[in-house]
Amino acid sequence: MAKESMTRSASDNIYLHKDFHGALSGGIDYLHKNYGEEAVREYLRAFTRSFYAPLIRNVEERGLSALKEHFERLYEIEGGDVCITCTEDELIIDVNACPAVMHMRKHGYKVADLFFETTRTVNETLCEGTQFAAELLHYDEETGRGRQRFYRRQA
Amino acid sequence: MISCTDFIPAYSELFKQLEKLGGPEAVTGFWEYLSDNFLHNLGTIVEEHGIRGCWLYWSHTLNEEAADFTMELDEEAGTFKIVMHRCPSKARLLEFQHIEPYHNYCGHCDLLYRRVLDPLGYEYKIDLSSVDKATCVCTVTRKPTE
Repeated sequence: MAKESMTRSASDNIYLHKDFHGALSGGIDYLHKNYGEEAVREYLRAFTRSFYAPLIRNVEERGLSALKEHFERLYEIEGGDVCITCTEDELIIDVNACPAVMHMRKHGYKVADLFFETTRTVNETLCEGTQFAAELLHYDEETGRGRQRFYRRQA
Repeated sequence: MISCTDFIPAYSELFKQLEKLGGPEAVTGFWEYLSDNFLHNLGTIVEEHGIRGCWLYWSHTLNEEAADFTMELDEEAGTFKIVMHRCPSKARLLEFQHIEPYHNYCGHCDLLYRRVLDPLGYEYKIDLSSVDKATCVCTVTRKPTE
C-alpha cells in the first residue's frame, strides 16, 4: 500500500490534449441529436464570432494573410499534413489528413456526423463582414481529407 | 478545424448555447451524458486498481493538459487528492479578455467525476470556492464497507 505525491507546474508539459477533439465531437453530436442541425451551426457561429473576433478583425485589416498565418499555426500545433497556398484573392488549404479526425479514429471516439461543420461553418463565419467568403470544396468523413477555399467576394 | 488548444472556450460556449436552448437543466443533462459516455476509462481503471486508479487516470490527463497541481495518493487510507494550483482550463478562460466564460464552467468537474466514482464506492468532493483564481481542491475517499 503506497503513498505517493506528484507536483507539476504548467511549464513541465506542452498544452496539447488531443482527446479534447473527442469531447468536442461528443458535444456536437449531443447538440445535433437533442436540438437539431441548425443548433450545431448556430453554436459554431456564436463560438467563432466571439472567440475568433480578434482574428476576424485581423482579416478585415490584413486580408487572407491573417487567415493563412492562423491556419499555418493551427496545423503546425496539431501536426497536420496540409498544403497551404495563398494569394491576395484566394487561400487554398489542402488537408491530406485532418489531425482531429485521425486522433478520434485512432482512439475510438465517435466522429460526429456534423463534425465537418467545425470546418465549414467556422470558416464561413470567419469571413462574415469581410471582403472574403469561404467554401468547403471537398471533405472525406473518414479521414477529414479535404480542400478549403477562401476567396475575395465579387464587388 | 478547431484546434484542441481552443477547445476550452469552445466548451464554455457550448454550455452557454445549451443554457440558452433549455436552461441550466440542459447543461446538466449534457454533463450527465458526457459522464455516462466519455468517462468509461476512469470507471474501468478505478474498478481495476481501486483508489490508485484515480492516480493513474489523473496522472495522464493533468499532464496532457499541462496543469499546475499537486496530487497525493494514500492507498492504505483510501484517499486521493488533487490540489489544483492553476487549472489550465479555467486559467485560459480568465486570460481571454474578449470572451465571457459560462458562469458555472467549473460545475462540470463537480458532476462528471462524482457520477462515475460514487457508484463504485468512492466519495468525491470538490472545493470550487476559489475558481476565480483558477484553483480548486478535489478529494476522493473510499467509502467504508458495511
